[in-house]
Amino acid sequence: MTEHASTAMSTVEPDRIEQLDQHLGNAIDAVNQVVLDKRDQIHLAFSALLAGGHLLVEDLPGVGKTTLAHAMAEVIGGQWHRIQFTSDLLPADILGVSIWSRQQEQFEFRPGPVFANVVLADEINRATPRTQSALLEAMAEGQVSIDSQTHQLPRPFFVIGTQNPLDLAGTYALPDSQLDRFLLKISLGYPDPSFERALLVEPDRRELLNQVTTQLNVDELIELIHLTNQLHISDPVLDYIQALVQATRTHPAIQAGLSPRAAIALVRVSRAFAKVSGMAYVLPDHVKHVFPALASHRLQCKPNAGQSDDVVGQILVNTPID
Amino acid sequence: MKLLALKANKTSIAITSPSQFTVSLTVLAYLVAAGPHLMAMPRWLALCILVISAWRVVTAWQRWRPPHWLIRTLVTFSALGAVLASYGTLWGRRAATALLCVMVAVKLMEMFRTRDARQIAALGFFLVAAQFLFSQQIALLPYLLIACGLATAAMLSVQADDDRRRHPDVVARQNEPLKSGGSDWSRHLKSGLVLLGLSIPFALVLFAVFPRLASPLWGIPENALDGRTGLSDEMSPGAIASLYADDSPAFRVEFEGQRPEQSDLYWRGPVLWHFNGTTWSRLISAHTETPRRPTGNNPPLQYSVQLEPNERRWLFTLDYPVEWSEEARLTRDYQLVRERPVTRLISYSVSSEPDFIDEPQLDPTLRRAALRLPEGQNPRTLELAADYRQEYADDRELINAVLRWFNEDAFFYSLETLPLGLNGADEFLFDLKTGYCEYYASAFAILMRAAGIPARIVTGYQGGFWQQSSEYLLVRQSDAHAWVEVWLQGRGWTRIDPTAAVSPTRILENARRALNDTPGWMGGRWAQNLRNQFDRVQHYWNQWVLGFNAARQNELFSRLGLDRLSGPLLAVVIVLLALLTVVPLAFLLRGLGQTRRVLTPDQRAWKRMIQKLKPFKLQPRRAETPLEFAERAAVKLNNGQRLINAARVYNQLRYAHSDNISESLRASLQQASRNWRPDPNPELLNSAPVIRVLLQRMTTRKPA
Repeated sequence: MTEHASTAMSTVEPDRIEQLDQHLGNAIDAVNQVVLDKRDQIHLAFSALLAGGHLLVEDLPGVGKTTLAHAMAEVIGGQWHRIQFTSDLLPADILGVSIWSRQQEQFEFRPGPVFANVVLADEINRATPRTQSALLEAMAEGQVSIDSQTHQLPRPFFVIGTQNPLDLAGTYALPDSQLDRFLLKISLGYPDPSFERALLVEPDRRELLNQVTTQLNVDELIELIHLTNQLHISDPVLDYIQALVQATRTHPAIQAGLSPRAAIALVRVSRAFAKVSGMAYVLPDHVKHVFPALASHRLQCKPNAGQSDDVVGQILVNTPID
Repeated sequence: MKLLALKANKTSIAITSPSQFTVSLTVLAYLVAAGPHLMAMPRWLALCILVISAWRVVTAWQRWRPPHWLIRTLVTFSALGAVLASYGTLWGRRAATALLCVMVAVKLMEMFRTRDARQIAALGFFLVAAQFLFSQQIALLPYLLIACGLATAAMLSVQADDDRRRHPDVVARQNEPLKSGGSDWSRHLKSGLVLLGLSIPFALVLFAVFPRLASPLWGIPENALDGRTGLSDEMSPGAIASLYADDSPAFRVEFEGQRPEQSDLYWRGPVLWHFNGTTWSRLISAHTETPRRPTGNNPPLQYSVQLEPNERRWLFTLDYPVEWSEEARLTRDYQLVRERPVTRLISYSVSSEPDFIDEPQLDPTLRRAALRLPEGQNPRTLELAADYRQEYADDRELINAVLRWFNEDAFFYSLETLPLGLNGADEFLFDLKTGYCEYYASAFAILMRAAGIPARIVTGYQGGFWQQSSEYLLVRQSDAHAWVEVWLQGRGWTRIDPTAAVSPTRILENARRALNDTPGWMGGRWAQNLRNQFDRVQHYWNQWVLGFNAARQNELFSRLGLDRLSGPLLAVVIVLLALLTVVPLAFLLRGLGQTRRVLTPDQRAWKRMIQKLKPFKLQPRRAETPLEFAERAAVKLNNGQRLINAARVYNQLRYAHSDNISESLRASLQQASRNWRPDPNPELLNSAPVIRVLLQRMTTRKPA
């Protein structure tokens, strides 16, 4: 996606930027209309999208994970597929298969559901590790290799994985290295009573989803991703990012701190969050805001040393901002 | 098995063991703090302590297991036995401190938890304080300060271990990666010394203002200091000679007004009447009432004496004391005697009348005592006395003749003498003709008594060293001296110094010079100089630190005008004074944690705005962004929106691309900063809502 973007645009007109920001704002608002009371999570979800990464939503069934993914796919206007992961799902069920074509006298590739702009991988931890890694490889490479043939995935390519909390029965936990493929991990949580009442009173979410219109086409999204990558990030903010990453490495409760790749990801997500917030530069507030979603699933705590969420919170409270 | 494993696991979580480094530092702190005690205790006991300490350090580095509790108990009891065996008791300072040292060493054996290490570090301070029971010399001060610094460093190190292990959730300092090894030493030592240094102003104020009692709550027991014994209350030839080698100060004198001549500086101590053939001793029943008659030409001498502890009861004075500040009794023979021995540095002022007739009429009992000689000894001396008596009828002429003889015959002043037998005076006067002051005094007194002149021996000190710049006289133990007083009709008791006749230098300068002594390079002139200079420091230490008693404190208070304050008000002033020293300390400590950076004008402007919120207790937290802080503070302000706007401008100036920053924006922040007057919402700021909020929080607390 990046090479495509860089050849297309080196400088962007301010008017165009404004227009794109407008469309982005509309898209976010549209999702907000459907998924009530989750503005923060929606912002993070769009940050993952604009940073060119993937999103992991971890929560109990029925709190609106699928609705969020569906709504995002609708407003982007691209192609979207949903894969329900089960324990008997095979890699071919996701990636696609080559079958014999009698007319062309050769194997023809039938792309699987992964070939879409937005893929909702529902309950990803129900599948066997083999199937999980097939998806995760595709996510990392942006392409699928089958029978020594490489098939490019469409651009942009955005996976929203959902998973139930690990202690539920019948799940295979994602290994650390594969969790790293997801840029951010968020959880939705129960809605506020007043919003829950709205859910009960208002028409079904599925009907609302049908009314969602495209606010942001695929080309605009690619442009936005490119713009996000160019967003200004100042030295004090980079200092802050480095301090945060360093803090995870020296914290006594953490087994292994964040990798340089995670640090790069933090810069990208911070930029994306600034973009989603409508800013032309990154504030420490943005970094602070995305840090838990970026770090908590990448950090493993030592035994008996507490939850990684708490540790990440402590790091934020104790790392001064200049 | 399972239970055991569980138990082991539990211990490893709950109990923090000190790091190798902490163990080494704690052991070192202990050894340094106990150093002076180790020197004073029996060698083998000190060696045991060193062995245990060394074992503990090796155990830490080799990760050996802690000894079995049975072994520890055995060692504890044998240590108790060892102290009992070497001291015979557990009471008394020496035994008690030795017991403390040994028990701390035993405690080292079970120092496998930070709690124990902390206790040992704290006991280090106690050991340091215990040293003051034995000596309060200034020379010890730097050493003990270093010991305190080490103990503080050990405590810091223990604390660091605790932070690191017991509370892994407490974040170690972010910008300071955990260091180990060499840098830990310097870091903890440095912080230890800094902490100690910061506490000094506070300690000084407490020292000056802490209420002092006229008599201390606990006295240092008698026979306390490892001090010098000084002059004895008896005199046998050789006793003073042993003092000659002792260069330590006996006392110091400051004169008010006139200073007497060097040759008049006879510091009167014990007066000896009774001679048993070898030893002179005091007359026990000396009456207090002394007939005396001042002749009164010269003005009285006013001086104050700082007497070093010497375990004796004499207060040394010049002839003849008429008024004195210390509670003491003047005997008939002009000894100023205290009720109890001098066990700590005391200071007293005396007024002396130099012109005085001591006992114009000699009491017959005293006269008999002053003439008594043991039967059948020193026949040659008796013969000589008879010869003199025949030749000179007048007492004064007789005395002059004897002194002349001492001067003209081959008498020598020397330390190299032989012990004398029963006929000591004979041997000395006719064979040896060589001796120290007590030989001359004794022989002369015997000669006088044999000639029918009442005579007694006075011991004390003669002369002293004038500190040029500080104007005080330092009298050392080596200035100890003995002379003779004879009773003459019309003049009462008159001082005669036979040594002066033999060696005038002894009186005019000092004993060293008189002996023409050059004891190696250490005793050279420069070393002597150095010693004299050091004594000046010690003098001030005595005067202002050790001698800072209730009287001196009152004097200080009255000089500051505090004496007019009533009790409670004085207490308030004292607390305020103490706080005054703590406040800059707090500021210093605050500054230590922060690294100083050069701020940009934007940062300064923003900081100024924040500063103006300080009176309302609104300050950014450690990790609060400008916007977060502004939003939090704005809630409590009526004009909070201006703060938020300023935070936005500041954010842009600090974090946006420089192309997007205009000078006018920068100016607007500066202006906003200058014009910023926080308008707090009183309802939200006063304390009542705070309590309400707290109560609310306490009642609606979420389960953790």
